[in-house]
Amino acid sequence: MAELTVDDLHLRYGDTPILNGVALTLERGQVVSLLGPSGSGKTTLLRAVAGLETPYQGTIRVGDQVVFDGARALDVPAERRNLGLVFQSYALWPHKTIFDNVAYGLKLRGHSAADIKTSVTRALEQLSLGHLGQRYPHQLSGCQQQRVALARALVYNPPVILLDEPLSNLDAKLREEARAWLRELIVRLQLSALCVTHDQAEAMAMSDRILLLNGGRIEQQGTPREMYGNPSTLFVADFMGSNNELKGDIVEARDGVATLNGDGFSVTGAARSGAAPGVPGVAMIRVERVRIADAPGPNRIAAKLVTSMYIGDRFEHLFEVGKGRLRAYGDSALEAREAFHVELPRESLWIFRAGS
Amino acid sequence: MSTVPAAVAPVAPNTLLARFPRALTILVTASAVLAPLALILYQSFLTAPFFDASKKVGLGAYRFVFADPDFWQAFLNSFTLAVGMTLIAVPLGALLAFVMERTDLPWKRVLEPMILVPSFVSPMVLSFGYVVAAGPVGFYSVWAQDLIGTAPWGIYSIPAMAVIAGLTHVPNVYVYATSALKSLGSDVEEAARTAGASPFRVAATVSLPLIAPALLFSAVLVFFLGFELFGLPLVLGDPEGHLVLSTYLYKLTNKLGVPSYHLMAAVAICIVAVTFPLVLLQRRLLQNARRFATIKGKAGRMKALPLGRWKPLAMALLLAWLFLAVIVPVSGIALRAFVTNWGIGVSLLDAFTLDNFRAVFEEPTHTRAIVNTILIGTIGGAIAVACYTAIGFATHRRNDGWSRFVDYLVLVPRAVPGLLAGLAFLWVFLFVPLLAPLRATLFSMWLAYTVVWLAYGMRLISTSLFQVSTELEEAARTIGASRGRISREITLPLIRHGLLGSWLLVFMIFEREYSTGVYLLAPGNEVIGAELVSLWQGGAIDVVAALSLVNIVLVAIGLAIALRFGVRLRD
Amino acid sequence: MLKHLAGLGAALVAASALAQGVPAGYPADYAKVLDAAKKEGKVVIYSALDTKAAQPLIRDFESAFPGIKVEYNDMNSTEMYNRFIAESASGQGGADVMWSSAMDLQVKLVDEGKAMAYASPEASKLPSWAVYKGEAWGTTYEPAVFIYNKRLVAADEVPHDHAAFAKLLESKTAKFKGKVNTYDIEKSGVGFMFVVQDTKYFQGMKDLEKAFGKAEYKVFSSTGNMLEKVSSGEHLLGYNVLGSYALVRAKKDPSLGVVLPKDFTLVLSRVMFIAKQAKNPNAAKVWTDYILSQRGQKMIGGPVELFAVRSDVDAEYTAASLNKELGANAKPIPVSSEIVGYLDPKKRLDFISAWKSEIAAGAAGK
Repeated sequence: MAELTVDDLHLRYGDTPILNGVALTLERGQVVSLLGPSGSGKTTLLRAVAGLETPYQGTIRVGDQVVFDGARALDVPAERRNLGLVFQSYALWPHKTIFDNVAYGLKLRGHSAADIKTSVTRALEQLSLGHLGQRYPHQLSGCQQQRVALARALVYNPPVILLDEPLSNLDAKLREEARAWLRELIVRLQLSALCVTHDQAEAMAMSDRILLLNGGRIEQQGTPREMYGNPSTLFVADFMGSNNELKGDIVEARDGVATLNGDGFSVTGAARSGAAPGVPGVAMIRVERVRIADAPGPNRIAAKLVTSMYIGDRFEHLFEVGKGRLRAYGDSALEAREAFHVELPRESLWIFRAGS
Repeated sequence: MSTVPAAVAPVAPNTLLARFPRALTILVTASAVLAPLALILYQSFLTAPFFDASKKVGLGAYRFVFADPDFWQAFLNSFTLAVGMTLIAVPLGALLAFVMERTDLPWKRVLEPMILVPSFVSPMVLSFGYVVAAGPVGFYSVWAQDLIGTAPWGIYSIPAMAVIAGLTHVPNVYVYATSALKSLGSDVEEAARTAGASPFRVAATVSLPLIAPALLFSAVLVFFLGFELFGLPLVLGDPEGHLVLSTYLYKLTNKLGVPSYHLMAAVAICIVAVTFPLVLLQRRLLQNARRFATIKGKAGRMKALPLGRWKPLAMALLLAWLFLAVIVPVSGIALRAFVTNWGIGVSLLDAFTLDNFRAVFEEPTHTRAIVNTILIGTIGGAIAVACYTAIGFATHRRNDGWSRFVDYLVLVPRAVPGLLAGLAFLWVFLFVPLLAPLRATLFSMWLAYTVVWLAYGMRLISTSLFQVSTELEEAARTIGASRGRISREITLPLIRHGLLGSWLLVFMIFEREYSTGVYLLAPGNEVIGAELVSLWQGGAIDVVAALSLVNIVLVAIGLAIALRFGVRLRD
Repeated sequence: MLKHLAGLGAALVAASALAQGVPAGYPADYAKVLDAAKKEGKVVIYSALDTKAAQPLIRDFESAFPGIKVEYNDMNSTEMYNRFIAESASGQGGADVMWSSAMDLQVKLVDEGKAMAYASPEASKLPSWAVYKGEAWGTTYEPAVFIYNKRLVAADEVPHDHAAFAKLLESKTAKFKGKVNTYDIEKSGVGFMFVVQDTKYFQGMKDLEKAFGKAEYKVFSSTGNMLEKVSSGEHLLGYNVLGSYALVRAKKDPSLGVVLPKDFTLVLSRVMFIAKQAKNPNAAKVWTDYILSQRGQKMIGGPVELFAVRSDVDAEYTAASLNKELGANAKPIPVSSEIVGYLDPKKRLDFISAWKSEIAAGAAGK
């Protein structure tokens, strides 16, 4: 039985629709990320699950308990849903000590003082905060505050924890460490987590499954590899990585293969959603898949080198192709030549219908 | 942790009992606000006091009032005053706010409390101070007469009253303007400065336009206060017979020889017809101003704009206003309190005496008034703040119909002139059996004050409540706390400091309040403000001066104590 | 000062002699009234005389009748009236004794049956115009006077009658423009009453009103303001000021001069009655008798610095001494229904608008 089930959820603010029929399931021990650009509704979805926003249609079930049902006008208030929510800003209560912040949930549930002491101490230790119990939030670093927020959400063992942009408040350097640590913690404690993030790298690093939202709907969901390697629409492909795009017209689409003719070039790749002959199309390839060849050939485009940028761990080359640009990575600088041949390997190239 | 079974969610009874406190709060508030207003409205449609056996229902009161040329003249005067003082107070207040908030003017810490002085002192007292200091035979007039042969100012004309009212209402604008300026980053000003603009140019073309919503709100507020003016026109308008709406109403107390409550009620309803839309407008503008402030977001670096060679001028402006608005009237009162008589040809040294103070302190009604005023400010103020907080919690973050109802409800008393509100409460206490024994006690006075200042108090509380981030409360909700627990254990501790500040402000408001108590005054619940009105009407100038000085000192002491304990006047 | 001390001393001596028993000359069953009063323990008085001035009276009474506490509430006469009718309409107690200078309002209340009939043993000693239906009594004798600033008004300019007052304003308008004051008859019941009576006795009242207009007179609702303005020199003349206050102030204030008009002087008498619904009726009776007695009147004419209405009293300020100066020109306002006429709204408003139009005519130079 899934820990969390959301079905056909619709929500609007006044007249503006925010969620337009979202569904998801979360199994025990899974980490699912809600990914999307701002305005896609991912935070609203998370808050709706928590009970802080009210949809007008759909159902939400935690385990076997229905906490929201639009048809029956059933809406269990947030304080009765027994979920854990970690806010983006941590929302630690400044007038309580760390210990009291974490203990609050147990106090509300009527645990004895001795029980509270044991549970809280254990929670703090698990998150390497053992010595900070008597401090106040403003005395802690950002990272420590985040862990306190986690401890507070976990201490009463909710079936699902909800995390709203858990890493966005940290510095770039810390973020990389933190995402590894957070995933490890969730897995170790066998928690079920629903995470909101706008960073696709973070989502891929931390999750078992990703739900990509666009305009209040789920555009695609799957494992990180599926999302990255097998985008079903242009939007998903565009969002999930750094890409090169070439516009043109699709002249052929058959057996999952399509050909795109552009301004002075023609490329062939995997046909994706909506690709059909005679419509405008977009060819898309991840930047790291682009190769630089010596001579013309299939899926190779003649291009002029505009500039090469040194980024530390690699070079990034910028080419001019007709009216468009192509980027490629490389280990070393390129010597200036009359023309380069930029290869877009057929197995890595996707051809989408424009606007899909 | 993985082997421990999931804990059960806390039980939150969603029963009627849980909703009871909110319902009760709203019910009590609604009665306290609507009962007096209903009485006034009812009275305005009668031909005699409502408790008079011979009363009949009719429009006679309104007919009389609308046919009375004095009423229209009073209306015109009120309007003129309101416009005049707005035109003076807003630019001056904005400019002062800019100078104090954004420039490197020295001695700010000393000057700032002084700027707020007119808001601590009762308008009765201030006006009286002007008479004694700058009237035709006031101290300053006489000195000027001696020094330069003439005293070229008058204080009894409408323009003069507008100027005085404008000068003394500068703090109202100042408070909102500084609040708004605080949230501006200084880069816009620095850009103008490097382009060559003088500080005043920067103020006029950059900073002040950016805080336009706050200034607009203050303008409407001051305009509205113009219609409410009572003490100032009572003292300064009477000598030349200039009436404004509130003094016209007061005059009706005896125009017919016997009380014309129906006429007074009709005038009050007319005043409410003007002031209530203004109050609604204020509310809308305040919301805009708030929204604007948050859009502007957190302030960038706040670097003071250097005044350079403009410093003397800015300082001169500030000191000139301080002199005219604060020092002149207060020194007038202080001097008058210590002399037996004064005027042309009287030597002050000869006339020095402590008799006036003796008259105050040996008189049981006056000492009672002083004690009552202290009580109503301190304890009464604290209880009032507690009530405002309870009402605030009943509407905080709930956007349902009840919250909106309460929102508009609290605006009602603001629109009713204090005079009539006090009278209405007198009636309530006289004729409601349960409350009757409490009429001559301080409770009736306290209740009237608390209701009349409901809107102000609620605004103070909601300002504090808004500063508590929503997420702190939501976090508690997701962990399982009921709304009641959240209010008590999360929100309340976090607004503690704001509540203390509110207490201080309510204390000062209660101390300077005077019109509400005029009709409620009874042996036992005397307060200084209402006593001053009564004494002024009775002509006991000596006692008025001494008692006024006592009032100022009381407020100053309260203020000093609070500031000492770290309470901040504004956020 | 010494005279005051002497008066006080005499009163105290008398007090100790009488402290225990019924005052001399009272019927024997008065002792029952006294006992009942002492059981009631207090008397609540609403009065227009300020507490400070009334202090000597209160102290003397309490020493004469230990066990009866005086709860003295001073308020202006309109407030008193308003509060009284509201309280009696709501059945809530309040005043036992009403003592006000607004004679017309007091008489109106008596006419409406709000006063208790009481045959005071002292009533026979009062002049006849001062007793009304055995329910209300005039207790003082306060003249309406002219006041002037001694330093700024020449001795030969000082007006000694009403016609001279009008003439002064007419002829020396430049000097007195904006510097003459009187009561605002719309606000002050006493002021209104005075000018109504003036109209009765002074044929040239219209001329006076015109003169007021020409001189841009200033109006006030309180005696204190008028005295203050004239004393300080802001104003030079005051008309129809309540003489008790003026004379008292003139004693201490070298700038203030007082004139008792020679053609006629109105005399106001503060009216007292016992409320029918009084909660302490016996104490109220004792108080009333005290005020009307020689002892009380002596206090009134002495330390309280009003004028005693009884002619058989020896004190600093008495009706007798005033009458000696004024003779037949003293015109006391009678405590009777005839003064209630102008409480009719229409009549009152007509009078006021007639007054105002005369003022306006004078100002316009007609």
